[in-house]
Amino acid sequence: MVRRPQELPAGRALYMLGISRQAAFGASVVALAGLAIVFGQFGSASAEPTATKAQLAANTPATAPLVTDASAPTTSERKHMLMQYCTACHNDKAKTANMSVVPLNADNLPANLATWEKILRRLSVGEMPPRGMPRPPKEQITDFTNWLSTSLDKLGAAHPDPGRATLRRMNRAEYANAVRDLLALDVDFSKSLPVDDTGYGFDNIADILTVSPTLMDRYVNTAGKVSRLATGVTSEKAITTDFKFTKDLFENAFGVPSYNERANDDLPLDSRGGGSIKFYAPYDASYTVQIYLNSGSGTESEIDAFNRIETKVALKAGLRTIGVSFRKKLALEESLIPKTTTGERPKKPTGDPEQMPLDVQVDGARVATLMVPSFGNAPYFQQAFYLRDVMQISMVGPFDIKGAGDTPSRRKIFTCRPSSSLSENACATTILTNLAHHAYRRPVTKADISPLMKIYAEGRKDADFEHGIEASLEAILVSPSFLFMREMDPARAKPGLVHRISDTELATRLSFFLWSSLPDDELLAVAEKDQLHEPDVLKQQVGRMLKDPRSKALTDNFAGQWLYLRKLEYQRPDRRVFPDFDQRLRQAMLTETNMFFDNIVKDNRSVLDFLDADYTFLNQRLAEHYGIPGVYGTTFRKVQLDPVKRRGGLLNQASILTATSYNNRTSVVLRGKWILENILASPPPPPPPNVPALTDVKNGKLLTVREQMEMHRSNPVCASCHTKMDPFGFSLENYNAIGAWRVADAGKTLDVSAVLPDGTKFEGPKGLEDVLINRKEQFVEAFTERLMTYALSRGIEAYDMPAVRSVRYAAAKDDYRMQSIIMGIVQSIPFVMRRTPDT
Amino acid sequence: MIITRKSLNRRTVLRGTGAVLALPVLEAMMPASSVAAEIADASRKRLHVIYTPNGMMMEHWTPAQAGEGYEMTPILKPLEAQKDKFVVISGLDHVQAEALGDGAGDHGRCCGSWLTGMHVKKTEGADLASGISMDQVVAKQFGEITQIPSLEMGLEPPSLVGSCDTGYSCAYTNTLSWSSASTPLPVTINPREVFERLFGEGDSLDAKSRLAQLKRQASILDFVADDAKRLSSRMSANDRKKLDEYMTSVRDIERRIQKMEKRGPDSAALPAYARPSGVPDDFQEHARMMIDLMVLAAQADLTRVNTLMLAREVSGRSYPDIGVPDAHHALSHHGNDPEKIAKLTKINTLHMEQIAYYVKRMSETKDGNRSLLDNSLLLAGASLADPNRHEHRNLPTIVAGGLIKGNRHLAAAKGTPMTNMMLSMMDTLGVHVEKLGDSTGRLEAFSA
Repeated sequence: MVRRPQELPAGRALYMLGISRQAAFGASVVALAGLAIVFGQFGSASAEPTATKAQLAANTPATAPLVTDASAPTTSERKHMLMQYCTACHNDKAKTANMSVVPLNADNLPANLATWEKILRRLSVGEMPPRGMPRPPKEQITDFTNWLSTSLDKLGAAHPDPGRATLRRMNRAEYANAVRDLLALDVDFSKSLPVDDTGYGFDNIADILTVSPTLMDRYVNTAGKVSRLATGVTSEKAITTDFKFTKDLFENAFGVPSYNERANDDLPLDSRGGGSIKFYAPYDASYTVQIYLNSGSGTESEIDAFNRIETKVALKAGLRTIGVSFRKKLALEESLIPKTTTGERPKKPTGDPEQMPLDVQVDGARVATLMVPSFGNAPYFQQAFYLRDVMQISMVGPFDIKGAGDTPSRRKIFTCRPSSSLSENACATTILTNLAHHAYRRPVTKADISPLMKIYAEGRKDADFEHGIEASLEAILVSPSFLFMREMDPARAKPGLVHRISDTELATRLSFFLWSSLPDDELLAVAEKDQLHEPDVLKQQVGRMLKDPRSKALTDNFAGQWLYLRKLEYQRPDRRVFPDFDQRLRQAMLTETNMFFDNIVKDNRSVLDFLDADYTFLNQRLAEHYGIPGVYGTTFRKVQLDPVKRRGGLLNQASILTATSYNNRTSVVLRGKWILENILASPPPPPPPNVPALTDVKNGKLLTVREQMEMHRSNPVCASCHTKMDPFGFSLENYNAIGAWRVADAGKTLDVSAVLPDGTKFEGPKGLEDVLINRKEQFVEAFTERLMTYALSRGIEAYDMPAVRSVRYAAAKDDYRMQSIIMGIVQSIPFVMRRTPDT
Repeated sequence: MIITRKSLNRRTVLRGTGAVLALPVLEAMMPASSVAAEIADASRKRLHVIYTPNGMMMEHWTPAQAGEGYEMTPILKPLEAQKDKFVVISGLDHVQAEALGDGAGDHGRCCGSWLTGMHVKKTEGADLASGISMDQVVAKQFGEITQIPSLEMGLEPPSLVGSCDTGYSCAYTNTLSWSSASTPLPVTINPREVFERLFGEGDSLDAKSRLAQLKRQASILDFVADDAKRLSSRMSANDRKKLDEYMTSVRDIERRIQKMEKRGPDSAALPAYARPSGVPDDFQEHARMMIDLMVLAAQADLTRVNTLMLAREVSGRSYPDIGVPDAHHALSHHGNDPEKIAKLTKINTLHMEQIAYYVKRMSETKDGNRSLLDNSLLLAGASLADPNRHEHRNLPTIVAGGLIKGNRHLAAAKGTPMTNMMLSMMDTLGVHVEKLGDSTGRLEAFSA
């Protein structure tokens, strides 16, 4: 579906609507009379029946439309229907929503493909004709939509149009993963590159990903860092690298709670507080671990040399996990001090500090225990006493270097070692051929390798074999063959030719879709044997790739953006309104939704679980937030939910509920908009400029959010869009701005009933779930569109819709399981084919 | 510069002997404004800003007399020997930092408005709104010529919590610079990161290793340019456009490398400077290291716009080495306690000592046939006057540099917006804009 925002001159439209409403009424009377004669029915077309559940079910279109010739309207009858019910607003003069049905020709769909698809979408979901306007009988609409979708699909099959994205470059996440997989270097280099721009809700859209001098500068810089680290020839000078922990900080300096639980899964089970870091040791050497404890300074940074302790550790080169933690059994003074938001300060201790053990672990094994005072303020601080915790770790080194070490990346790069200076060139050629082959994702030739060998030779001349390899690796990492995903048109191809992409190109599309990274050895081999496009092989590879841990990228990058989870990091719930919101909760919300999505992929569950699941993933902190008893400990586990007070499905998860709220209150509009965009693929047009803020007081009375929103309905300019959005948001009002359950707001019991424009009534999150499940085809199509946008790295156009529908039909036969949808996308025409440009 | 149409082998050009070489001038390579700038290289100007938080003890700052020959005050004492290099300006206001109906949050407002002149939006969320800051206005113009458009440095790590001042996001107090109304620019506090950003990998700045590094980069870029040419041979027009973006960026870097190599042996060589290992514990050591890097960056012409926050706004840092173990912000609410006032003055003076170090380093570093200071303007000061009352008027300000007349106390007319003075500063730098924030015109006496 075309996702460009539409210009909706709402005021003008309604003005026109006002005039033509009368004309339409008149016309519809005549039309009805005509219809009545044709179909032998009598009845008012403008009465809107209160929808019952049965009617709801009946309103939704069949999954696989059945069009028999006997029921298909004739061409002139189709045109007639459009004229009768649509031209009141969608005529050449008024052009409501920038659309007129007048020039449409039912025998020539391709001439107005985008418009026909729009019509199909709006009629299928019952959005058009709008409430209050004359509406043809249900059966007539169903016939029409069946005919239309079948015809459009037939057209798509006869004249496939796979579309075409421009040359695409890797975004920063993909770059980091590619480096990780190419060089076995598990360091996150994405932060060295600038943030990528987004389009259609994703940061992997080919047209949007440009190259700027700043980016080029960063590529060159980063390539050097990566290459030196991977080959093991970084500077031998000792440097300091700081790792700051995100800890809960106080409001008005009233105490840092140190939770009596394990801070993360890398730390010992019986530990509390502290934190862990991933540090890449460049050499087998000694390093100093500097630990900054909180100092009660009253400022938020809390990092100063007075409260720093250190210890020296010996590390082997490579990625090391360094952890520091206290022990769970606390001394008397250590019992949790409840956080206060009043003017009260925590009591000062009466005696001297005790000595507490602080453990240091390297890769899970304890290497040192330091004793630190249980509280400590340097004499000059005048703030209240704080519980001990670790705010930052700094790693200093290397010292006393023993050697470059046997790191995974050195093993991966140096597949051979020259036995003498005579065999250096041969070995270098072998190494570079291997690296370039995987980096460029295609067979490499002399034209690729000899320029790399030249750079190798220059680096070799200045130093040694390893430095030579390092130099040419830098070149590979900046090369356009690495950074861009090249897809070639066949030689001398006619413009507009539709062709299958090559297997190596398919391998690249596939690996960046499912892994956000380079194809691995197996995928590349299958592609180079020209077998990847065979249906059985393709299916087998997709299955293998989804089972692989690298498919976590689909959760991180697709779900992270589809579900607005990246926004969660920046949400700052007001601590005065939500004093219990802490980092643990933020992290837990995120983990729940990540695991939920990941499980649907790995276990091949139906995507309808997104709307209505009877399970979720919880740890103690999150379970307490949800009011679910019996879940203990910091580790996450799958939990079956109580059928009555369920929390299953995306719309009941705190992550999305928080990301669609403001700092101190919920937003009916943000939540409604999110549902329209991401669940129903029916985004509202942008709001008009200069919308004033809500007033929360009227006649001295504090208004509820619902009362404030009444303005949306009373003002017709606002109503046209808000009657579609607000009902969804109202039904979720039981969830506050951090996703906790509530029954009252502003002192009044919440009213969570809602009515959709088509008359559907529902109440609360359970009612919302039912409404959405009844629109499951719409949801599956919406989900497919989002996933397809991500897979194709371009927006979905009208000519893609037959492919979207065929994915839905196929998935319907398999309960709409996730892997069916993924497989459907991978096998679809837009994914395996390409169109040469018209010029 | 002789401009010919002859196409030269890039390799030859990049390994040039240091003499000015003719290059085929392609439109994509050199925008017209920078060509003129290159020719007038000798007149390159710098804008530097050094910021002190939490206001100033005004009674020990403002000279009693206006005009020339004013008597040095205690806080300005560290700059006494360089009196002729700077002007003290009083009477400048930032009315937009006042509450204007928004209630508490003076620190968030004063810092957000200091270089922007805007009344920033009161929010703790992601919907920040300020305005473009003066340094970024200048960077937009100067940044076309230099490798790095601007550098934002600090000595205190940015705060990561939601609010640093009631109702105002920490983003407002973490930085001075805004590249647009909604984009604050983060500061770098680690001198090693600044060094690496400026000079890439390499343990020190010695000429030999620098040139080797540049040569290596040149070879690599040569290689990628050839690779791109091969790639583009069978591409469609649209795809080739994409690759062109890439090629333009590559050429941009090549151009800079060529400039740096040109500057190599004969022009003012950069001093040997070791790559810092990390953040020093000591405040003064940290400040001086960052100032040294400011000077180096200016000397190497890697950037012409550089700001340094000696501490975050609303900083609670303590300075035990000068006998002030109390938190700065707490002290700034002195409540007229003489002991607190004395300590606060000590902190202010320590900060001015760092500025004096800057003036010294800049004036003893050559820039062409003048000094760096001669070709620069430094804006230094705080965004509050009396911190006890969160005073936003009559802000403590000095402007140093050879581009204006020093040795005077300029008392601006009551109610002069500080942004007026900033417009005049920018005029002096050759950057002419109509308006900045709440400016109403220029400060005439500035360039007198």
